[in-house]
Amino acid sequence: MKQRCILHVDMDAFFAAVEQRDHPEWRGKPVIVGSPPDQRGVVSTCSYEARVFGVHSAMPSREAYRRCPQGIFVPPSMEAYEEASGQVFAIFERFSPLIEPISIDEAFIDVTGAGLLFGDGRAIAEKIRAAIRAEVRLTASIGVAHNKFLAKMASEKAKPDGLFVVPEGRDAIMRFLASHPVGALWGVGKVTGEALERAGFRTVADIQQADPAYLARVLGEGLASHLRALSFGEDARDVETAFEEKSLSREHTFLEDCKDRDAVREVLKGLADEVGRRVRAHGHFAAVGRLKLRWSDFRTITRQAPFETAVCDDFSLRALALRLFDAEPLVQPVRLVGFGVSGFCAGRSEQLSLFDDAPEARAKRERLCRTVDALRDKLGDQALGRVCPP
Amino acid sequence: MKFSVVRTKFLDGLQKVQNVVTAKGSLQILSNALIVAEGNQLCITTTDLDISERCFVECEVEQPGSTTLPIRRLASIIRELDEGKILVEVNEDDVASVQSGSSYFKIIGLPMRDFPPVPATEGKFCYRIDQGAFREMLRKTSYAVSLDETRRVLNGVLLAFKENKLTMVATDGRRLALVEHEIEFPPEADVEMVLPTKAVSELMRILGNDGDLKIYAQKNQVIFELGTTTLSSKLIDGVYPNYRQVIPGVCDERVVIDRELLLSALRRVSVVTTDKSNATRLTFSANQLTISTNTPDVGEGRDTVAVKYAGKEVSIIFNPEYVMDPLKNIDDDEVVIEMNDGHSPALLKCSIPFLYVLMPLRIS
Repeated sequence: MKQRCILHVDMDAFFAAVEQRDHPEWRGKPVIVGSPPDQRGVVSTCSYEARVFGVHSAMPSREAYRRCPQGIFVPPSMEAYEEASGQVFAIFERFSPLIEPISIDEAFIDVTGAGLLFGDGRAIAEKIRAAIRAEVRLTASIGVAHNKFLAKMASEKAKPDGLFVVPEGRDAIMRFLASHPVGALWGVGKVTGEALERAGFRTVADIQQADPAYLARVLGEGLASHLRALSFGEDARDVETAFEEKSLSREHTFLEDCKDRDAVREVLKGLADEVGRRVRAHGHFAAVGRLKLRWSDFRTITRQAPFETAVCDDFSLRALALRLFDAEPLVQPVRLVGFGVSGFCAGRSEQLSLFDDAPEARAKRERLCRTVDALRDKLGDQALGRVCPP
Repeated sequence: MKFSVVRTKFLDGLQKVQNVVTAKGSLQILSNALIVAEGNQLCITTTDLDISERCFVECEVEQPGSTTLPIRRLASIIRELDEGKILVEVNEDDVASVQSGSSYFKIIGLPMRDFPPVPATEGKFCYRIDQGAFREMLRKTSYAVSLDETRRVLNGVLLAFKENKLTMVATDGRRLALVEHEIEFPPEADVEMVLPTKAVSELMRILGNDGDLKIYAQKNQVIFELGTTTLSSKLIDGVYPNYRQVIPGVCDERVVIDRELLLSALRRVSVVTTDKSNATRLTFSANQLTISTNTPDVGEGRDTVAVKYAGKEVSIIFNPEYVMDPLKNIDDDEVVIEMNDGHSPALLKCSIPFLYVLMPLRIS
């Protein structure tokens, strides 16, 4: 097989960079996009000037303020970010149709077939960076390699406003990876990281040199061979252009931890409705619902259950969400509540029943929800609301 | 207790009743068969507390008595023995010695006082029906029994003795199979009962082609007597749904189809369906039925069958298994399908008093 050429493009401090672009007076200053410091909530993105103070994304805004009181706290203006993101992705499309969006500001691009037109990976990456700088007035970091894993590692190394091409050849790749911590390997989260740490694996080099049998004992056969492959820079995943959403969810963080069951229920109903609307907008039916609760001490639980049949109406979503919630004792005040669905199918075939008309009733409820969606799309979200409980 | 018995007869008897015994019962006594030697016969009884089975085996009793022995182990031993006479002697500690030719076994039993009581064949009335006919009725309906335990009353076959006929019904809420057979009994003996699945399959196993079957209806239980074998079963409690109500009255369209051709075409097409995605479309047009399915990530299948049909084009989607089930269990060369449109129940009939109601699938 022909050696692939994959780019991983990651915008630098994207939200903060857009804010600094649009507010010249904030340039060179610590800009922190996210919740205001006097409220619950976290930092979404911060500028490199803020990172110097130890601020990073997902940090509670209060903590960010403590570390960087002179920071400019800005609420996110998603429309501006989405516009910039659209421009950036339009630039990618000039070079290859094989684009896998990871998020609003990050994507893999397979440019294997673009070599004759635009030059090698480095040349294409330079062109993309130049175009983004000139047309969107933002900076991007790009990693170039022959697979997704290495490309992503390379863009990390390139940050900020840089370009890094992973060297060719097995030895060079192993050297490139060796000094990274094991946590950099795709698939190593908190639990696996701790297991590796306990077994004495700290860097990718430790994995490269590990006895495969010992590693398998620590992690299990599957994960061990996966991590070994990654440690040698092997990753066969394709750039997936037709990215299918596997789950949809919404969550809500309370301004004050909530002890009131009914209040949480009310929020949960709203979340279920929002999820339902998105499921319908995608033309999906969902098979499984999942409740997420975070207690005031940050412990988080999730509870999930299948729907009787694949559904997309708010009534079914609400019913499952509330059923899962009602089965949970409130051991602590609730900090966050979330609801999501997964197991999507585009169509549904439903066996009709001789004795009950549940499928008919469900079809009616779906029509009702779709009608409400259409009215809200046209007249605004406040145009129509529910008066009575389900 | 001491008796001698011919191997084949003993084995026959044990095999007849051993199915009732659950492989991993919680109560040890339920793994055992009650064996009583009296007169010139053995009476062998098994039970799982819901169903009891009893049969008689001819033997020479030297010393009458009774005990309980682990039936599966006993049957395995008898199966392995050479043909001939088997001598069984049980001491007062319920330890049995089994001797035949050069073979000798000692089997530990349990005292009979621990064995649960088994219902006696009595009832205010006894229905009589040919064994083969009853087995055929079970065959034509039992596949439609519900396996979903949330609605217990559907986990069995309804036997309705009414107006000089026995009506048997099974349904899982998606399809319903019904068969009728005329028998004679006085009007005051009208009764309805729901027979649990395990009793149904056990009956289908032990019923012969001919010979009388006597049915004794009692409160909460029923006893079937066929020759020297008796099966008693608890009944499922609850009100069976009003099945008459879901049988469509008049249908607009009527198709006559060769049963074997329809069955084999469905078999072929259903190969490309999966458990999750089994929607199969039946399109009836002038003298032709097209069966097609399209399963994401698997493939497509299509087949056509010649039919006798002159009505409007009707397209209706079914789970193919539900169409094949009745076709596998009736013997007519031709079947009739009646329907109205793609979203109401269809009816399958044949020359005998049998009908099958099937709800379609709806695609959204």
